[in-house]
Amino acid sequence: MMRAAEKLSMPFEVKDCTLITRMGGVDSAVNFRELRKRIAVCPTECLFHHFCETQIRPSFDDPEFRNDFAVWSARVMRDRVLAERLGILNPYTFDTLELLRETVLDILDERMSELPYIPSAPKDDDFRFMQAATVVFDCGITLETPKDLLDAVPNMSFGSIYYHFIEARRRTENRTDDFTAWLEDCGAACEELSSAFAAVDFYYLTLPRLKTTLVKVIEQFQRRLANA
Amino acid sequence: MPEKSLAAYEPVVGPEAISQLRQLGDQLKGARVVHVNSTRVGGGVAEILNWLTPLMNDLGLDTSWETVTGNEAFFNATKAFHNGLQGSRFPLTDTMIEAYEQTVAENAERLRGILEEADFVFIHDPQPAYLLELCPNRKGHWIWRCHIDASHPNRLVWNYLKRRVAGYDASIFSMPNFAQSLPHPQFIIAPSIDPLSDKNRELPAEEIDDTMRRYHIGRDLPIVTQISRFDRFKDPIGVINAFNLLNGSVDARLVLAGGGATDDPEGEAVFEEVLLAARGNDRIIAMQLPNDAHRTINSLQRASAIVIQKSIQEGFGLTVTEAMWKSKPVIGGNVGGIRLQVHNHHTGYLVDTPEGAALRIRELLEQPEHLAKIGRRARKFVKHNFLLTRHLREYLTLMLSLRRGLENHLIRVSP
Repeated sequence: MMRAAEKLSMPFEVKDCTLITRMGGVDSAVNFRELRKRIAVCPTECLFHHFCETQIRPSFDDPEFRNDFAVWSARVMRDRVLAERLGILNPYTFDTLELLRETVLDILDERMSELPYIPSAPKDDDFRFMQAATVVFDCGITLETPKDLLDAVPNMSFGSIYYHFIEARRRTENRTDDFTAWLEDCGAACEELSSAFAAVDFYYLTLPRLKTTLVKVIEQFQRRLANA
Repeated sequence: MPEKSLAAYEPVVGPEAISQLRQLGDQLKGARVVHVNSTRVGGGVAEILNWLTPLMNDLGLDTSWETVTGNEAFFNATKAFHNGLQGSRFPLTDTMIEAYEQTVAENAERLRGILEEADFVFIHDPQPAYLLELCPNRKGHWIWRCHIDASHPNRLVWNYLKRRVAGYDASIFSMPNFAQSLPHPQFIIAPSIDPLSDKNRELPAEEIDDTMRRYHIGRDLPIVTQISRFDRFKDPIGVINAFNLLNGSVDARLVLAGGGATDDPEGEAVFEEVLLAARGNDRIIAMQLPNDAHRTINSLQRASAIVIQKSIQEGFGLTVTEAMWKSKPVIGGNVGGIRLQVHNHHTGYLVDTPEGAALRIRELLEQPEHLAKIGRRARKFVKHNFLLTRHLREYLTLMLSLRRGLENHLIRVSP
């Protein structure tokens, strides 16, 4: 059984984060040919931004695709075939962003070979390449036991959820989330919870939905603990 | 007026947002920051600097706000730059450039000391942009802040201004679409409003009633309002045309009200055109307001059922943000920063024609529940995205990232 109230060797410091965005340093694209050309040379930070940082960006919409290339293909270029092929890509399943880049270029080449002509975007709707830095703040909250974590997640901001559950995969050696990494110290007793966190298909969820999913995972785990 | 302090904003934005600002402030404590623009009164830039300067100081930065001064020839030239950045076609003459450069050079004599010693210099819009070249011994980071929609600039104007701003360490644009190709990093920071300013704070109902009585605006009918400078890019004539297209299908009054700005010599001529277009329709009220009529504007917006901002070119459109903060649905021109704020059917409507504006006025006035729902969403959207605390945070973050180096994709603010 999990030693929920037992202190782990290292405390867990809860962080929050936000983005500061800037232009990606490559020209905008008005059609798929230009999009391909720019994606081939843009910094990997641009790929990361348009694939992985879409969840943390302030937005009113909940677009049907998670990456900006798919959203642009669907909304602006009205090419749902391309949008769906790009939209299914999960960047976290690629070992490197360069491999992701190759795949995106393949998909664009394939789609362009199917089209009788290359359409252009309407005025002012060209694709603008962006990149961002993640700014990390201290929330002033320190967790010491697994139970603290279970209690804390439901109260975390979306920025905290993004930083610890999604952004963590960019900076940690095992490309895992911070919660799972911390619970490793707890050993086999926490494996069940870690596995449940690992099974969350986070990439296709908005942050509010991701938080709800994590809270559900925790509630189920707590119910099982209580019944054990 | 008491100096603004961050603590006053905590009840509006919450303790977390304030804590983040304090953490950023701790990293930048003591940094000397100078903002430079061309007017202290009128227009969105002056309003932003009115809160940005004291709040940066509250965080421990040593911040000042300077303005460039000039004669009519200078402001005619800079107004031409402004319109040219927004795409107006006109010849850029040597006389204009001479008036511009000479005036900025005179200002540089006065400002050089403080600018060259500063750790961060923010130059707002084209008016003071030439200062960089006139301060060769500058020590800090110089950032050009472009508040204008420069997405389709007059090439003559842009080719000239590009030479003036290329040497900056970074620039800031309000939206990705506004950015132009420059040989330095271009940050994207949307503007914001101050929820505690006279223009945006809650007002007693009696004050709103008094204002409406003072300007003889009857409240027996729903009020549709456009608040903005009398400027052709704001399309006040298009708003009157839209109102006339209602043709009695819904009863309403139209109010067109705006202050002037000391750097806008065209306002008077446009106001005359508006009066001419409104002649004969007593349900249309057009009025020029003093630059400091913030509470009057606040009252007008709060008394309105719908706010219009039917611009055909727009930088960001802070009047849109102000109206949304007051839970008003906005019918906005489908341009510039309005597109960032008004989301069709969610926080208002985007329109391209007077016909479109008329259609949406009618739709909203005929469905009060829908109108109220959109208004509530609009306020929430502004609270999360367009209040000054977010804006301040992004300025501080930019400064920190310039200081630490842009190659870092993770900026840890906490110790």
